[in-house]
Amino acid sequence: MYTILICDDDRDIVSALDIYLTSEGYQTLKAYNGREALRASESHEIHLILMDIMMPELDGIRATAKLREGSNVPIILLTAKSEDTDKILGLNIGADDYITKPFNPLEVIARVKSQLRRYTALGGAEKGPGLITAGPIAMDDAAKVVTVDGEPISLTPIEYNILKLLLSHPGQVFSSAQIYEQVWNDPAYGSENTVAVHIRHLREKIEINPAEPRYLKVVWGLGYKIEKG
Amino acid sequence: MKKLQGSAAAKVCAWIVLLAAAFGAGIFGVQAVLSVGSVIDDSWQGSSRYYSALNNRQGELMDGIDLSCQLALLETRIKEGNIDATLQADAEALREAREDVERRFSRQSTWFRFRVMNANTGEVMGSNLAEGESMLKAVRDVNRKTFRLENGSIYTDVYYYDPDTETGFSAPPTAQLNPEGETVQPIELVLEYGVPEKVNESIQDEFCQIWRMWNVDRAAFDQYLIGFLNLGALTLLALIWVLWTAGHKAGTEEIVTTWQEKIWFDLYTLVMIASVIFLASGTVWGAEQLYRSSASLYTVRSDNYAAFYKLGMMGDAALFTAGVGGGALLLRTLAVRIKAGTLAKTTLLCRVVAWTARTVHDFVRFLPFTWKMVLGFGAYVIFTFWLILVGRYDGVFMLMYFCLQLVLLLFLSWWAYGYHRLRQGTKTIARGDLEYQIDTKRMPYDLRLQAEDLNNISVGLSGAVEEKMKSERFKAELITNVSHDLKTPLTSIINYVNLLKSTEQSDPKAVEYIEVLDRKSQRLKKLTEDLVEASKASTGVLSVCREKIGMSQLIDQALAEWEEKLGDRRLTLVTNLPEGETWVYADGRHLWRVIDNLLSNCAKYAMEGTRVYLDLERGKGQVVLAVKNISREPLNVPAERLMERFVRGEESRSTEGSGLGLSIARSLTELQGGSFGLAVDGDLFKAMVTLPQAN
Repeated sequence: MYTILICDDDRDIVSALDIYLTSEGYQTLKAYNGREALRASESHEIHLILMDIMMPELDGIRATAKLREGSNVPIILLTAKSEDTDKILGLNIGADDYITKPFNPLEVIARVKSQLRRYTALGGAEKGPGLITAGPIAMDDAAKVVTVDGEPISLTPIEYNILKLLLSHPGQVFSSAQIYEQVWNDPAYGSENTVAVHIRHLREKIEINPAEPRYLKVVWGLGYKIEKG
Repeated sequence: MKKLQGSAAAKVCAWIVLLAAAFGAGIFGVQAVLSVGSVIDDSWQGSSRYYSALNNRQGELMDGIDLSCQLALLETRIKEGNIDATLQADAEALREAREDVERRFSRQSTWFRFRVMNANTGEVMGSNLAEGESMLKAVRDVNRKTFRLENGSIYTDVYYYDPDTETGFSAPPTAQLNPEGETVQPIELVLEYGVPEKVNESIQDEFCQIWRMWNVDRAAFDQYLIGFLNLGALTLLALIWVLWTAGHKAGTEEIVTTWQEKIWFDLYTLVMIASVIFLASGTVWGAEQLYRSSASLYTVRSDNYAAFYKLGMMGDAALFTAGVGGGALLLRTLAVRIKAGTLAKTTLLCRVVAWTARTVHDFVRFLPFTWKMVLGFGAYVIFTFWLILVGRYDGVFMLMYFCLQLVLLLFLSWWAYGYHRLRQGTKTIARGDLEYQIDTKRMPYDLRLQAEDLNNISVGLSGAVEEKMKSERFKAELITNVSHDLKTPLTSIINYVNLLKSTEQSDPKAVEYIEVLDRKSQRLKKLTEDLVEASKASTGVLSVCREKIGMSQLIDQALAEWEEKLGDRRLTLVTNLPEGETWVYADGRHLWRVIDNLLSNCAKYAMEGTRVYLDLERGKGQVVLAVKNISREPLNVPAERLMERFVRGEESRSTEGSGLGLSIARSLTELQGGSFGLAVDGDLFKAMVTLPQAN
């Protein structure tokens, strides 16, 4: 039984999230500004925090920074600010993930689950030989098994090889042609389109929201990469 | 220190010290000056005092000789039997006067030695030398005076003739007295006189006095000098103090000026210098009087002379003090004016000169430029002509002529350099650097005007640009806030609609209604996102990070995203890509949004079962991406209108989409330095994105 702290100055949003999360079997705590969230985190054992950014008294960014001083509880930011800079600031200050408003409740639940799995079960995943990881993605090359947040996913051999190529060079951008040459072991003659389609499918399997990928990123006009970390 | 500088008591003290010291210095100074002669002269007989006393004696003696002659004449007449009571009385009076003279010139009453001799015969006619004493031995220097006695019968008349000055009678009056023409030889007389070098107090006369003073002067000169120097130094110190404190007043930091500083400085100086000169000459005159008077016979006899001398000395020192005081006043006001920085302002001459210079300067400055050129050139020509004319014969003028040419060259260079700077500055500003300010230092006046105007323009322009930036920032903030305020309630709507959907509804109509709500809330969400995006794109608040990206790769990626969705609409994608990669300078995310919007447009508005063409062309440094499709509805709107916000191909607005897609695509393309064009040909819809090619 996990306890989730929901913090937003809009009470209706808090109640809606409360309903969703309770129906999923989580215990919830409510806070309506950053200060209340800090107080709640002191008096209760909390496993995850959903935190709005724009709040009175103490905003989400500051509250996150304060929380991070003494805790590594997962924090997911809820933000109506869709500016990239806000997201980057939030992640740099110590948040683990973010969801932009207006959000899809199913996405919220998926992200909550993902973060909780990583926080609890996957806390100290053993790093054996042949185990390649990036964020929540782990590839056991010996067993040919790929897990995301500990959940195994099924991949086609081509998808598996593409993911292996990207995972073994995190942060490096591969163009479609490069991927084709490496995975198919053939020179690329305008058949890169297949690569793009494969990667789209791969993305759909890995990412919670494939339109806004967090790990397998599209670098438009240049290629694809796996985010570091 | 500051306190002391402003203290009024200290100032009064300084003035008192100044004047008192000046008075003392005056006394010592006058005495030092008066006695300096005595120190220089080896003998006490070298001073002018001595000569004047000697001359006085000589004059008196001459009077005495005259007296003797008259007496002799009278006695002759009495002897001739002319026994008149009046003559007898006159003779008696003359005799008494002569006795008085004889007494005064006796050896017992004076150090003056004399001898009167007949130059013709060498007979001694009168003397106060001792028996057998030589004149040369008796005195230090023998003075001689030669004169004549003329007589008609015998001693008819007495004249003396001074050959030095040639006054008196040039011709003897004998012709008149002796009509018969008898010539009478005049008697040549020589008066020899002088004073012994060694005198003493035994005979109190003026020479003894002079000798005593000479001794006293010699002894006291050092004291006088030291006194003068010390008190002079004290005066100087007091003066420095006065100048240092001048204009300062306790309780204020400013320099305080008085009525004295209101007087024109040059007038004040003239009056003061005149006064000081007057007082100085008064001092000198007074000193001279004291010097002279100290050695006359009268002073020797006067009992009150010592007191008088002291009084005179004090008066002289007072004159000196007044002079020093006047000078100090002048220096004080000069100091105050310099401290207050009003010296030039309160000097009439400066004001007049400054005013004249300003007037001429202003006149030249405000003269129209053309006139300046004409007048300047005219003056140059006339001056040059004159110089050549004169310089034909004179090397100096020729040299001046060359100097003039050099000056002209320098002047022209100065102008040319100023113009060059102006030109450079204008170029820089024209290139878009509105912050640039042309340096107008040491620029010719007319060019400077131009440069300043340009600077003002650029200031105005950068102000406008700044203003625009500010409004852009304001817009960006507004968009962020509005988007927040729109999204927050929308989040609730979407979430609660979702919750409603998951509840059991007995009424089938309710399910239908919830479905509508769901659809519309999703559409609202899309609209809001598009609206924010469109606002950001069109106001330019989006950050653009341009880099070299591959168009083929991008199209490839875009197709992967859209192929399925387009396939669902039974749309076939046909791509025409050139061989190899086509590189452009663009921001990948923004360019993706452009292509995403165009393909989304196709998915929404293209007629089902048709083909969508994606053509990429490159050439002339440009890359053109064209997206062509056949519209489902007739396009009864001109191409230009389609790019406006909220305009869609069909007016019914029944389809999904916000009508912002093309507008966003255009704004984003333009943000990246490209251009976006639309063309409508019947049902054929064509969108073209043109971007600069990268090598």
